[in-house]
Amino acid sequence: MRVPILRQGPYLIASIQAAVTDEDLLHLGQEVVERVGQYRSRGVILDVTVLDVMDSFAARTLRDLARAVRLRGAETVIVGIQPEVAFSMVRLGLSLEGVGTALDLEDGLALLDQHVRRRGKGGR
Amino acid sequence: MGEPRHSSTTLALMQELALTEEEIARRKAFLEFHDEDVQRLQELGGLAQQYADEVIEDFYRHLLAFDESRRFFTDPAVLARVKAAQRDYFLRLTRGVYDGAYVEDRLRIGVAHERINLPVALYVGAYGFYLRAVLRRVQEAYQHRPAEVLPLFVSLLKVVFLDMGLAIETYLAQRERTIRLQQEAIRELSTPVLPLRERLLLLPLIGAIDAQRAQQLTAQLLHSIRAYRAKVVVMDITGVPAVDSAVANHFIQTVQAARLMGATVIVSGLSPEVAHTLVRIGVDLGMVHTVGTLQDGIEAAERLLGYTVQKLEPPMLVPHPEEGQ
Repeated sequence: MRVPILRQGPYLIASIQAAVTDEDLLHLGQEVVERVGQYRSRGVILDVTVLDVMDSFAARTLRDLARAVRLRGAETVIVGIQPEVAFSMVRLGLSLEGVGTALDLEDGLALLDQHVRRRGKGGR
Repeated sequence: MGEPRHSSTTLALMQELALTEEEIARRKAFLEFHDEDVQRLQELGGLAQQYADEVIEDFYRHLLAFDESRRFFTDPAVLARVKAAQRDYFLRLTRGVYDGAYVEDRLRIGVAHERINLPVALYVGAYGFYLRAVLRRVQEAYQHRPAEVLPLFVSLLKVVFLDMGLAIETYLAQRERTIRLQQEAIRELSTPVLPLRERLLLLPLIGAIDAQRAQQLTAQLLHSIRAYRAKVVVMDITGVPAVDSAVANHFIQTVQAARLMGATVIVSGLSPEVAHTLVRIGVDLGMVHTVGTLQDGIEAAERLLGYTVQKLEPPMLVPHPEEGQ
């Protein structure tokens, strides 16, 4: 099942479903990076609230997605990582270095706003 | 009466001590307890039947002669009941069946002794009395065949040692269970997660941190982050006596896991000794936000959250409770 990508103002929001496959994730990566340019988006939110497991493939794919998005001039925030998921990721040595994280969608949007404001001030 | 409860405790105990058929066989092999021993013990069975009541009476006369053992038999009804149980126990020694049911029965006795806090020394001493009483009677009965006494007695010793091993392990298992329960209680008591301000949690750590506690702590913290929607957590380690590389790694893991949930962890209370130790053993806490005292930690957290604390000028007078009326 493809992950739907929603547009919300200057941001893109993708809610990843529980039944997501590796292929869906790869597809999502390409799609998001493409749309960031298409819609001139300033930020991307990946919502993983319903995931009860995050393996190394998923972690790497999401990290690569975030890096590619940054090269296109936008920020990525992953929201909704559950306590158990966070714990097992750390124990497996999976990190999302360089990617923003937030508790939920609301916090994620606030974090993106902060980024955008800082960039605006920096006169990028 | 209490029987079903007994059997469920002993069953659990059998599992805890891993007393499978193979394990029982291994123990017998170690004691060199073979089929000929079983035969000899069966042979003793008839004699035991004959002398059982007498031996039991002697046994309790002996127990009642000493203060430390007498206090367990102050109630005559209890005394009568344990005498009957003891007779059964005695006869079972020479019945010739030493299977799983036998082991379970022996564990049950051990549990009962542990429950009344019978000292191990008394248990072993009482068993010694038993052996002496039986040996005397065997010698009498085998007057005309003295060469058979020693092999018989050796077989009896083997089964007695099997028994004692089981009983002492029962004691140990019960004590260990108590210690485990207390450790769990201490662990839960010592890791409160306190909401300090909106979206700010305080986690004061007290006492030594081992791998298990660290894991539990992290899990508890992560759930609290979600429950309180915390953005910043101050983890105060003033009360942690020793920080080695293992503990430091736990801190790093906690910080990383919290970050995945969008929360920042500040570790406060690194005493000069702890700081020196960490540097000496080469632990890199570079990715962890650390500060010296709890006060610094809270101030740093407030800055992150955008709080400012202002002192009133002139300071408000703090009324004495009685004068305040």
